[in-house]
Amino acid sequence: MMRRIILILSFGATVAAQWLNYPAAGIPRLPDGKPNLSAPAPKGPDGKPDLYGLWEEEKVQGPYQIMPLLPSAIKPEDVILTPEGETWQRQHKEDHFLDAQCLPRNLVSRVRLEPFKILPLRGTVVILYELDTTYRQIFTDGRELPKDPNPAWWGYSVGKWDGDTLVVDTTGFNDAETILPNGRPHSDALHIIERFRRRDFGHLEIQFKIDDPKIYAKPWSFKEEAHLIPDTELLEYICNENEKDLRHIRVK
Amino acid sequence: MGKSCQGGSLKLICGVALFASCAAGQWLNYPAPGIPRLPDGKPNLSAPVPRTPDGKPDLSGLWTNDADPLGQRPVERKPGDIVLTPQGKALQRPRENYFPGARCLPNILYLAVAPFKIFVSRGTVVMLYEHDTTFRQIFIDGRQLPKDPNPTFMGYSVGKWDGDTLEVDTSGFNDDELILPGPHSDALHIIERFRRRDFGHLEIQATINDPKIYAKPWTITVNSHLVPDTELLEYICNENEKDLKHMVESK
Repeated sequence: MMRRIILILSFGATVAAQWLNYPAAGIPRLPDGKPNLSAPAPKGPDGKPDLYGLWEEEKVQGPYQIMPLLPSAIKPEDVILTPEGETWQRQHKEDHFLDAQCLPRNLVSRVRLEPFKILPLRGTVVILYELDTTYRQIFTDGRELPKDPNPAWWGYSVGKWDGDTLVVDTTGFNDAETILPNGRPHSDALHIIERFRRRDFGHLEIQFKIDDPKIYAKPWSFKEEAHLIPDTELLEYICNENEKDLRHIRVK
Repeated sequence: MGKSCQGGSLKLICGVALFASCAAGQWLNYPAPGIPRLPDGKPNLSAPVPRTPDGKPDLSGLWTNDADPLGQRPVERKPGDIVLTPQGKALQRPRENYFPGARCLPNILYLAVAPFKIFVSRGTVVMLYEHDTTFRQIFIDGRQLPKDPNPTFMGYSVGKWDGDTLEVDTSGFNDDELILPGPHSDALHIIERFRRRDFGHLEIQATINDPKIYAKPWTITVNSHLVPDTELLEYICNENEKDLKHMVESK
């Protein structure tokens, strides 16, 4: 979150620092040397769109800090809790502060809050997240989702191409996290389908479909938009560093 | 199954004792392509080193340090190598009660007993660690180490090839983490040499140079072997955390 502020306020001082301004190879340029973010989306050796790049969600300047845009397409009337979902939300709303405990942030938060790097590799798409300096592997080698996996914070992901869109299925979640900031619940029946589409060189669209029949009466969807941030790098992000919050949290 | 397969150190047990019940689980037994096999189908771990298109050894693979399942430190070190400076001795005492691991802060990573995965792609060597589900990027695109970086737990790494050995320079550390058996300062500079001896064996030699804390550089060697046909597990240090309340700060 400080990246943009640093770039604006103290450009000269940070140039030599942690690769915040390091011209990357393979980026199409305009005659003035600036990256051409509306150039066509690059293709990988297999002819599929190459999702490689350092991406960041569109942000707006809020009253206190730079905030991610609200998910544009969530229609409140689409998000209907089942009776079990309502019970869950009542029980967990007030004392469930995953962020303050430095527990894993969900798949949506991780792309919304800080930059992330997509690295398509042999049979795997790896996403490196600045938030919590963590990663995720999406297997694109044709394997099936595991049948009875150990429940995990981030689940298990496999992907396949639907035309120019990478469709990623994720299941195998535990029921401990919330899907969105501000606490929308889910159960271990959660199934997330993401659709990654690189519109052009500089723009990536991720559509999330949330399907959890225990908690929601029907699946609901929303879209996130990210843009390429060229010529810079991920920063280290350690949630537990200088941690002062935990003692102030009261659990009922 | 489920609970019987939790945790990195149990992976071996799952593989041996609970093969059938883990096979359907989280890809603990998933045959990987591109691994040379013996006639009986087992991976041939002494096959030659694979190479990337540029002819360099391909370090890619899922690796784990040679250690017994009880987590014996997989580090070779010569006694008498580690000589603290006066400043190093002064730092060591107050830090006796300093347990970054118990606070879920980053650990120095060579000592982790959990598996790690190496990818080589687009001018970067990426290491994915099961330990804390964290990663590290080593840039081999020719860039220089940053001159005055923001100090970090993991430092900044660049690498270049010295014959068949990848030599990695890392600096830009904060002074907040521990290298066994002692402290380090922000002057820490680590040089690692990654050498894939054959298909199934990787040697990492790390030279620790911190003139503020150690009278001379010292070297550790970590031997790792390939773990074929399986996957990294999720590892969340803060999950069900019960340690912090028992920790007492020394006066």
